[in-house]
Amino acid sequence: MSLFGRMYRNETSVPFAKLWKPIGLCSLLVLIISVSSLGVRGLNLGLEFEGGGAWEVEASGIEAEQVRDALRPLGIADARIQTGGGVLRVRTELSKVAQTSLEQGESGDPIVAQVTAALAELTGQDESAISVSTAGPSWGEEITDKAINALIVFFIVIALYITIRLRWEMAVGALLAVAHDILITVGLYALFQFEVTPPTVIAFLTIMGYSLYDTLVVFDKVRDNEHMLSNSNLTYTSVVEKALNQVFMRSVNTSITSILPVVSVLVVGSGIMGAVTLREFALALLIGLIIGTFSSLFVAAPTATILRNKFGDADSDSNRSYRLSEAVKKRSKNSQAAVKVPSNPAIPPRPRKKRK
Amino acid sequence: MKKQVLLPLLSILIVVGGLFGWSQGAGNSVLLGLDLKGGAEVVLEPVEDTELSGDALDEALDKSVEIIRNRVDGLGVAEPDITRQGNRIVVQLPGVEDQRRALEVVGQTAELRFRPVCAILPAVPIKLDQANNQNSDGVNDGPVGILPTDQDELPVEGPEGSESHSMASTPDGIGCENLGFAPEDALGMENTEADNDEAENPVIFPLLDSEGIPYQRLLLGRTMLTGASLETADASFAGGFEWQVLPVFRSGADGIDLFNAAANACYNRNSKCQTGQLAIVLDGVIESAPTVNTPFFERDQIVISGNFDQNRAEDTALVLKYGSLPLEFGDPTDPTSGSRVRLVSATLGQDSLDAGITAGLVGLALVALYMIAYYKLLGLAAMLSLAVSGTMLWVILSWLSETRSLALTLAGVVGLIVSIGTSLDSNVVYFEHLKEDIRNGRTLRSAVDQSFPIAFKTIFWANLASLIGAGILYFLTVGSVRGFALMLGLASILDLVATYFFLRPVVKLMGMQKAIQDRPWLSGLPISNGEES
Repeated sequence: MSLFGRMYRNETSVPFAKLWKPIGLCSLLVLIISVSSLGVRGLNLGLEFEGGGAWEVEASGIEAEQVRDALRPLGIADARIQTGGGVLRVRTELSKVAQTSLEQGESGDPIVAQVTAALAELTGQDESAISVSTAGPSWGEEITDKAINALIVFFIVIALYITIRLRWEMAVGALLAVAHDILITVGLYALFQFEVTPPTVIAFLTIMGYSLYDTLVVFDKVRDNEHMLSNSNLTYTSVVEKALNQVFMRSVNTSITSILPVVSVLVVGSGIMGAVTLREFALALLIGLIIGTFSSLFVAAPTATILRNKFGDADSDSNRSYRLSEAVKKRSKNSQAAVKVPSNPAIPPRPRKKRK
Repeated sequence: MKKQVLLPLLSILIVVGGLFGWSQGAGNSVLLGLDLKGGAEVVLEPVEDTELSGDALDEALDKSVEIIRNRVDGLGVAEPDITRQGNRIVVQLPGVEDQRRALEVVGQTAELRFRPVCAILPAVPIKLDQANNQNSDGVNDGPVGILPTDQDELPVEGPEGSESHSMASTPDGIGCENLGFAPEDALGMENTEADNDEAENPVIFPLLDSEGIPYQRLLLGRTMLTGASLETADASFAGGFEWQVLPVFRSGADGIDLFNAAANACYNRNSKCQTGQLAIVLDGVIESAPTVNTPFFERDQIVISGNFDQNRAEDTALVLKYGSLPLEFGDPTDPTSGSRVRLVSATLGQDSLDAGITAGLVGLALVALYMIAYYKLLGLAAMLSLAVSGTMLWVILSWLSETRSLALTLAGVVGLIVSIGTSLDSNVVYFEHLKEDIRNGRTLRSAVDQSFPIAFKTIFWANLASLIGAGILYFLTVGSVRGFALMLGLASILDLVATYFFLRPVVKLMGMQKAIQDRPWLSGLPISNGEES
């Protein structure tokens, strides 16, 4: 039977547990590269975060594209350009040096002067008619501080939620997977020095939400299968492995349906139609969504399994099975009906003969 | 049996269709953000004679930015762009198409003033002799609403003098004392113009109804205290039946003491405040004119009640909280001030929007192809379910655009595109469960019933986690993070709604069809083992 056929029938038996170690090592390597590039190169924060310079000149009938073309030789084609109301405004990031000199009221820095000259030439105005000033960040520290506080609360509450609903080992696994995904995506931004803009931050948050959701779906399956522990001498690892195989096709399909639109944004939107602003944003999402699915199977699951094997207390397992068998006994006592296996989604009861 | 399925299915379709119809009928549409559509811009420059400089000026500017952000972005999803450029503050508002509206929203020169109400006047100025004529003609009920006062000892000017009367030259006094003219004369006076709105002089402002049409005018005394005395304010839904505004004053002589002096005057209805009403005025607009019914207040136990609906209560609280900026800015309508207001173009524009929409449609088509190729009829059901949740999302977004100036930026458009794929996950979880059940020997019909609760449980708990996360982010953040939280929360709820109320009955209906039961390839499901044996 072909691989696809087996996948289609959910008959895959991927030896996840064996793959955890080699894939985990690869993951670790990528993580190290990401974190170190984050440490060494840092993020290329956009105008919205760090501020920069702003130029204003009275001009009408000038298109944003013309301005962009004029600024391209100066290497700032990604400047924020606004026209309308008879005024042309250009805002762009500046180097620390240029910004400091601008703050002190000097406009002698080469790049600042060059932009002023380019705009003067384009608009036909005298350089003195162009007002140059610093541009403050629109995404102020106030917003960042609040967002960071909110994220801390978010992680605490979600950890509690997973601990109550599932297990604490799973809470650790899920949060580790989320951290893994975010660090790798953010790390790529540092590595390639893509500009981080507010939409990028939203992309990071989207990835975080998706990663968490995906992990919870996988863990839910694992928990549904935990009852197998009491009925047989299966190890926890093999139970998890079985659950992962059961959700494997779901993970693949969800990844595909999530990735197709993003690929379309990347290829159609940014490639063919030339909306460059979409490119890096879509790239971040694409990588994040793939890693988000991957990490549920290869980061969250092994973490939870290893923790459980290490700290999982055997007593609670036997208690669990004890309670289960008690429940079964009680039920059989209370009713004359045949004892049913306690609700088990993985192995439903044999069906009735098909009616013809 | 079939009825049990068709009924909920029909209800959801009617509800969604109805909502969509209402939304279209009401002319709601999704507002596009600054990057896609542009908007209006207000530039504020501090007045030249400001006493602040250096770090103090810096701090005051930052504080102003924060206050303006709160003022223009009450719900936190409008995504205005507020920046400092040197000493100027540039506020860009998405979707605002006229300059006057932009000024209203930014409320740039706003100073909050508490003034006693000296008299209530009819909406239109009437000259006394004219009013009397009308009265005798029976056309009008005369000088309605003017309250008796004890100002008779003041020199009374003739009606002809009232028009030329200058309020600016009034003698000293507190509140309504010693206005320099009889309240009757105010009947014939025009409303005070913005230029003459001085804290130290009495003024006449109209009271507007919910449509913005004046129905009364109030003669207001001198300002007794300003927003500077306030610490904060909140709106609350008290006792489950009425909206109230709860201001908290600063302690001490510059705070609650000033307020209590005014409250005492109004409670006793003495010459400083004969009507017992204390008006809250922001920028020449009467926000509220509540009657004072206690002479003394604790600074944090003041309740302003009245005919507030939720919007008005929240707006008033916002005004009280953020009323005055720590800095005086030039008037944007004055060309010599350096401040100004104008319309601005989009930063990205139509091309980017077109690219985003095309990419979204292509992506949607690819996803539909994949789902239908893989899950056949079930895939089709999934796409229909997506259409249902998509329609609901559109209705909600356009409603929020209309009422709360939510604006969709290019990032928002891409976010919507991403949610196409992720919201199909609940369908995939369900279908994979169905397949597994059938492989394990169930018939299609019983598998449909059996699988849904189990799959829905998974989806429910996972979405609940997203929802909790979205709630936390929404309440604790500002700016675009808040916008993101709103979208995440909406997507999670709509996913659950569409799955439960649409996908479940549709798949159930499919499971009942003999034609589908006999042709497993139609449903994209495996052949059950039961049949093979």
